[in-house]
Amino acid sequence: MTNTTQHSASRLKCREEALLGSALLALVIALIVFVVQQPKPAAAAEHTPAPDAVTRYLSPVALQLSPNGQRLYVVCEDSDVVLVVDTSSQQVIGRAEVGKRPKGITISPDGNSLYVSDEASDAVTEIDPQTLAIRRTISVGWGPVGLVTDRAGTTLYVANTLGGDVSVVDLPTGTEKKRLHAGRFPEYVVLSRDGSRVYVANLLARLGPPDQPPVSELTVIDCAKQQVTARLDVPGVLQLRHITELPPAAGSFLLIPFMRPKNLNPLVQIQQGGYLTHGMAVIRPSTTSAGEARDYQISELLLDDIDHSYADGFGAATTPDGHWALVTASGSNIVSIVDTSRLRTLLLNSTPTRRLELANRLDSANRFVTTRLPTGRNPTDVVTSADGRFAYIANRMDDSITVLDMMQRQPAATIDLGGPKRLSRIRRGQQLFFDASHCYQGQMACATCHPHEGLSDGLAWSLETPQLGRDVVENRTLYSIEGTEPFKWNGKNPDLETQDGPRTAMYIFRSQGFSSSEVDDLVGYVFSLRLGRNPHLAADGHLTDAQTRGHAIFFRDKTNSGAPISPLQQCPTCHSPLTHFTSKIQIDVGTATKYDTITAFDVPQLEGAVMKPPYLHNGEALEMEEIWTRFNPEDKHGLTSDMNKAQLNDLIEYLKTL
Amino acid sequence: MKLTMNANKITSVLRTALLSVALPLAVLPCIHAQAPAPDRATQPVLYMKWINYTAANGFPAGEVYCVTVDGTRVWAGTSHGLVLLEDGRVKKVFSPEDGLVGRAVMSIAVDQQNGDVWVGTFGGLSLYSGGKFKNYTNLTSGLANDLVYGVAFQGQFLWVATAAGVNRLDTYTGTWSIFNESNAPFEEPWAYGISVTKEKVYFAVWGGGILAYDLAKQTWRPYTDPDGEMEIVLYRNQGLIHNIVSSVTYNPDTKTFWASTYFGLSGYDGRNWHNYLTKDSGLASNFINAVQSRGDDVWASTQSGLSQLDTRTNTWITYSRDQKTGRGGILITSADGSKQRVATETSLAHNYILNTAFQGNDIWVATAQGLSHGIHAQSKE
Repeated sequence: MTNTTQHSASRLKCREEALLGSALLALVIALIVFVVQQPKPAAAAEHTPAPDAVTRYLSPVALQLSPNGQRLYVVCEDSDVVLVVDTSSQQVIGRAEVGKRPKGITISPDGNSLYVSDEASDAVTEIDPQTLAIRRTISVGWGPVGLVTDRAGTTLYVANTLGGDVSVVDLPTGTEKKRLHAGRFPEYVVLSRDGSRVYVANLLARLGPPDQPPVSELTVIDCAKQQVTARLDVPGVLQLRHITELPPAAGSFLLIPFMRPKNLNPLVQIQQGGYLTHGMAVIRPSTTSAGEARDYQISELLLDDIDHSYADGFGAATTPDGHWALVTASGSNIVSIVDTSRLRTLLLNSTPTRRLELANRLDSANRFVTTRLPTGRNPTDVVTSADGRFAYIANRMDDSITVLDMMQRQPAATIDLGGPKRLSRIRRGQQLFFDASHCYQGQMACATCHPHEGLSDGLAWSLETPQLGRDVVENRTLYSIEGTEPFKWNGKNPDLETQDGPRTAMYIFRSQGFSSSEVDDLVGYVFSLRLGRNPHLAADGHLTDAQTRGHAIFFRDKTNSGAPISPLQQCPTCHSPLTHFTSKIQIDVGTATKYDTITAFDVPQLEGAVMKPPYLHNGEALEMEEIWTRFNPEDKHGLTSDMNKAQLNDLIEYLKTL
Repeated sequence: MKLTMNANKITSVLRTALLSVALPLAVLPCIHAQAPAPDRATQPVLYMKWINYTAANGFPAGEVYCVTVDGTRVWAGTSHGLVLLEDGRVKKVFSPEDGLVGRAVMSIAVDQQNGDVWVGTFGGLSLYSGGKFKNYTNLTSGLANDLVYGVAFQGQFLWVATAAGVNRLDTYTGTWSIFNESNAPFEEPWAYGISVTKEKVYFAVWGGGILAYDLAKQTWRPYTDPDGEMEIVLYRNQGLIHNIVSSVTYNPDTKTFWASTYFGLSGYDGRNWHNYLTKDSGLASNFINAVQSRGDDVWASTQSGLSQLDTRTNTWITYSRDQKTGRGGILITSADGSKQRVATETSLAHNYILNTAFQGNDIWVATAQGLSHGIHAQSKE
């Protein structure tokens, strides 16, 4: 090889190396740029939680089996979907998107239509159960939850919680034919086995004097007349939930879970059901065609044991032969299995006096409850298969389904519905809200007194008072309370952490209560509770003439005769619209009674006022009108004595829109 | 030949001619009088048999202010509670002890859709549904006044006539609206009665005449006595006979609304007024507590008996009771003023009539001392 050749080869080699080096350099630079442009990884949840708004859990709340039992339809309220589970493979095989906040489901008698209630849409969605196609949406009343068709499949009955009524829908035309007045917050319905009646369970007790025991109502609708023919008194209880009817061979009883409060007693002793107990109403229906209330026999039995409670009964179902009944305890993650033959024996062998005693006996459940099985968190609805072999339970806070083997009466499987696995702060708080395990003997959860995710039970309670029987105060809702501190009617709790932390532990749960991180999660959840759409306010926010006049009255600073109104007597002074219509002060409005040790009370927010009866600190004003017609004789609660009836009506119409 | 008429012959011819003209004229009325008997259908149908419900057979003592028929059920409002009759007997008497808001029941309306019974009392408004009462008073609801005189349904709305104006309750939303002198031409606030049609709602206002509310236009039209406060009728049929109106009813068959006043009976068909006084009609008394109308008939509940007007034939039939014998009397006043009396073995419970209602062809009559059931009879031969 000559020098020239060697030099050329050397130069070629250098060029190649340069090119290779350039390429490598370019690759490195490209990699650096790529890495730099990648989004920063999310920090650990414990330190910087991801936004909860983007995490949609499923929260299964209602179940429906197909007639052949091959499909289980699952209503998921927090994700606005209905999932379909193949019961053989126990896999989710389909999904349908429905309206806002679906709560209930039913299937037509021929199995060809599914109906889902969309609580926040005031509508019912009809779905093809095979294709999951949405066929139509039917407008109903306010806040629909429970629904059922008649035996012919031509009429749909829908319980409207906020409206306090039942929509009767003609299915062929998809239109509402009429509305029937129900009780207070009607929630779940069931068609009687003979198809002659629809029973409606109302969540809240009737409005009544705060110093009297509550009385709940089971509304009975005659399907032939499509009219309410009876309103049964279920005394001393509230939160009637799902209804199941035993077959005739088992006595035809209706079983309905309830909560029995001891709110008239000062809450000083919690053990052995000292604050409240949980049980079920056992109702033998009327056999007469007239079906008047007096023809029904109503008994009440407790499901709690003497040393442990099974909080917040929710779902109820029966095996096809009627031998077993199942009742979920949504606060205790338990399902109680009832031997109905023992139940029937107990009732038949009891005198009427004895049956009354049974309503408060904590030693009776073991006579008819044979098994208590664990479920997932917050079990809600329960259904049984047509062959009686299986039962399915919706675990709302776990996004799962518990499958029970009813032959063995043991848990058989848990179906994962595929919800998000990582728990957000709000989700953890939501789980705690429904969990009674932090309370002594598992007696109650937050949801026990604040059912339906933050509503008030509407009762006055005698809580942690230095003087027994004094300072009885009305329960309050939890919607949109962020920014309305202090809390408690005496205004002594500066924040919700104090309310849910030491106060709850010491006076309500009588236990260690929640840990500090749990309190933080719980507060996060409670603050996330928002008022839903207010049906009294038009969707576009436009006020009616009456509401406009009421708005003017609320903000007036002169009387009808033109005299100036003292700022202390003007509504916005204490109910500032800038801070959720509460100025967050304590003030004497002349409503203290001889049983109160204080005269100044924390100003409640007015948002959602229409959902909060009764009113005033002690619940004495059953209707909003009474705040001023009966309890404001000296104009200390605003200057209202110069107003005429029309003006008061207008003011109330405005307040209902908040 | 000269034709001359014998004078006698002329007289005879004239006489014959006169007779041949006069005779037919004389006979003609007789022929008219001897016209064939009227068709049976034009004969008034009389209520010959009455069954009375009084304190003697379980009915509350005292006045019966109103009566409403709901299929086989009859509801009666009395001074001592609400009465339910079924199958010809008193089934139940409801009082405040049963949850009724007030003892004196002035009006009753049945919601045909859902079977609810709304009861207007002198203590507020009651809703009877599914065997339970739910009550509304001036203090606990948007009710204008606890003196409730009238209730009536229009779709999902309940109209309530009170001593302080009129309410409209939206039974779906729970919204109360008030209509009184501040937003409607109420000369007086005392609303006594209501009659609902598809297009309008009519109100009887004591001292204020009739008010008609147009549902579509949401406007009011008053009908008042053109004579003002004078207790006279200057010109017949020029307007409402008097402003003290006790009740109103609209008849869709004749498209006429009828108003009962304390000084006569008025009807308005959209063009003409038809007024009636005792002095020149068969109306039993000018003091009328209530009026009902169906078909061609108008029924006036007066202080002196029950008067029925057949507007087609202008025939009046008044039913009354001989307080001494307890027997009934029917006075038929024809258009020509002729009168005919018919006696009956049974009669109304009392002559002071407060209201009526129909159950098929039968009639129920609320009186000052009991409820009367008039059984429909065959036509009189």
